[in-house]
Amino acid sequence: MFYPEPISRLIDAFSRLPGVGPKTAGRLAFHVLRMKEDDVLDFAKALVNVKRGLHYCSVCCNITDIDPCRICQDKSRDRSVICVVQEPKDLVAMERTKEFQGYYHVLHGAISPMEGIGPDQIHIPELLKRLSDESVQELILATNPNVEGEATAMYLSRLVKGFGLKVTRIAHGLPVGGDLEYADEVTLTKALEGRREL
Amino acid sequence: MFLKRLALQHYRNYAHVDIAIDHNVNIFVGPNAQGKTNLLEAIFVLALTKSHRTHQDKELLDWNGGETVLHAELERRYGTCTLDLSLSAKGKKAKINGLEQKKLSNFIGTMNVVMFAPEDLEIVKGNPGVRRRFLDMEIGQVHPGYLYELSQYQKILQQRNNLLKQIPGRGGVDLDMLGVWNEQLAQHGVKIMKKRQSFIKKLQTWAEHIHAGITAGGETLRIDYAPSLPLSDEPEEAVLFDQFMIKLSQVKDQELRRGMTLVGPHRDDLLFYINGKEAHVYGSQGQQRTTALSLKLAEIELIREEVGEYPLLLLDDVLSELDEHRQTQLIQTFQSKVQTFITTTGIESVHLDRLEGASVFQVRQGHVTGKD
Ligand SMILES: Nc1ncnc2c1ncn2[C@@H]1O[C@H](COP(=O)(O)OP(=O)(O)O)[C@@H](O)[C@H]1O
Ligand SMILES: [Mg+2]
Ligand SMILES: [Zn+2]
Repeated sequence: MFYPEPISRLIDAFSRLPGVGPKTAGRLAFHVLRMKEDDVLDFAKALVNVKRGLHYCSVCCNITDIDPCRICQDKSRDRSVICVVQEPKDLVAMERTKEFQGYYHVLHGAISPMEGIGPDQIHIPELLKRLSDESVQELILATNPNVEGEATAMYLSRLVKGFGLKVTRIAHGLPVGGDLEYADEVTLTKALEGRREL
Repeated sequence: MFLKRLALQHYRNYAHVDIAIDHNVNIFVGPNAQGKTNLLEAIFVLALTKSHRTHQDKELLDWNGGETVLHAELERRYGTCTLDLSLSAKGKKAKINGLEQKKLSNFIGTMNVVMFAPEDLEIVKGNPGVRRRFLDMEIGQVHPGYLYELSQYQKILQQRNNLLKQIPGRGGVDLDMLGVWNEQLAQHGVKIMKKRQSFIKKLQTWAEHIHAGITAGGETLRIDYAPSLPLSDEPEEAVLFDQFMIKLSQVKDQELRRGMTLVGPHRDDLLFYINGKEAHVYGSQGQQRTTALSLKLAEIELIREEVGEYPLLLLDDVLSELDEHRQTQLIQTFQSKVQTFITTTGIESVHLDRLEGASVFQVRQGHVTGKD
């Protein structure tokens, strides 16, 4: 017994999302079947709009609806510092602190040979272009404190050696992701080390 | 430390079992495949959150369903504590005195155990992987930070091996990228090596002494750390880091050719010598078994040294394999100070006359009945 084609295609589409297995995908698909048509249309539109209405900022590579993005257009910020983050959500988290006044660069990932992600896949060339601008004096590397994030930070710090910049790595608070379970002592130690020059 | 109560729910073939324990020596008797090993395994899992015989946590869940919970009441020097560990397909939840621990590292080591099972002969006879696993489990039990280093190291290793495999396919070698992974590998590798070195040194001291006792002075046991790069006595971390990096540059071509990392603690080994001869190669079955026993007994002393209390000793099906003399020695050494859990298929093979105040439990198809 097979599902009719439209429903099995929807199940397939859901199961491509991160963290969604075949069971959940099935449940979601049947939920859509029971939804009101208007709601389904809104949902579909929202999906299409993120793709059509948003693109990468030509300066910092963050996702934006205008180009350059609002942060890059903001003249009141500090030109001398660029903070490199992995994901748009890291930028949002950073902004929420209201402590950081400089500009950002969003990599959209971290170096991971296992997933075939090298420097060219994560907007490093765009970053290098920005660094030739003389007003930039400090690069803050705020990639995740896991293996891939550390490797990315280390790679970047080596790559920009010739630019005569101050390169810093943010101090680690609670690490994100799967290593949490063993991280206790290490977290404390790292937090103590503070922001260090690379 | 002293385990007062062990209660299991939907763990392996135990739907429900609740055992009150009031003696230092506890013997679980029953035919094969009744759940004796499962019981010791449960105690082990409560100590380390991992099984001694499988990597797959889901094997521990009762096939017939139900929520899996392990519970222990433990007497320690500074008071009683309760441990709760629930296991599910989603993961583990650990509580100490009813308080949920966000990190398993806070939970691991609340109860300390040393397990001695027939498969431990493999530590002497088997491949280096078995010995590394032994080292990691034991060091992790007293230094939870070590497990974190290890998990980081393993991820770096995987990434680096992937990079080494990719390179030949492409036009050239991304040496900058390799350099980054070299540094990461060395940074974490050095920490692991130093911990292993100091652990093995202490273990050697104890094991040598104990082995001489067991063999009535007939044999000298030496344990050597055999790391993948030469290691001086207690080197500075920075010095060792430099040596690691140099070694990596020396094997670079070979690594690129073979597409794998050839230096680092993942290639470490542990060597056992009896009277100067490698036990792995020249030891008789009996000598190898005694070596494994000395090792485990040394661990008991080492844990006491590190945490200030004796761990629990779990003897799975091994007592009957020892001759009468060794049984006596083992039991006499520990019966007053180390709480011991013994499994056996037949009580006859254990010389009960030497045991004062032992509890005997019968194990039948996931049920345990006590009998003093
Ligand atoms: N996950 C599980 N759920 C239910 N029963 C299990 C599970 N794993 C093993 N068993 C059962 O446990 C028994 C083996 O227990 P074990 O403790 O190894 O035996 P022994 O008494 O010989 O040491 C077998 O009967 C096996 O079918
Ligand atoms: Mg058994
Ligand atoms: Zn921008």
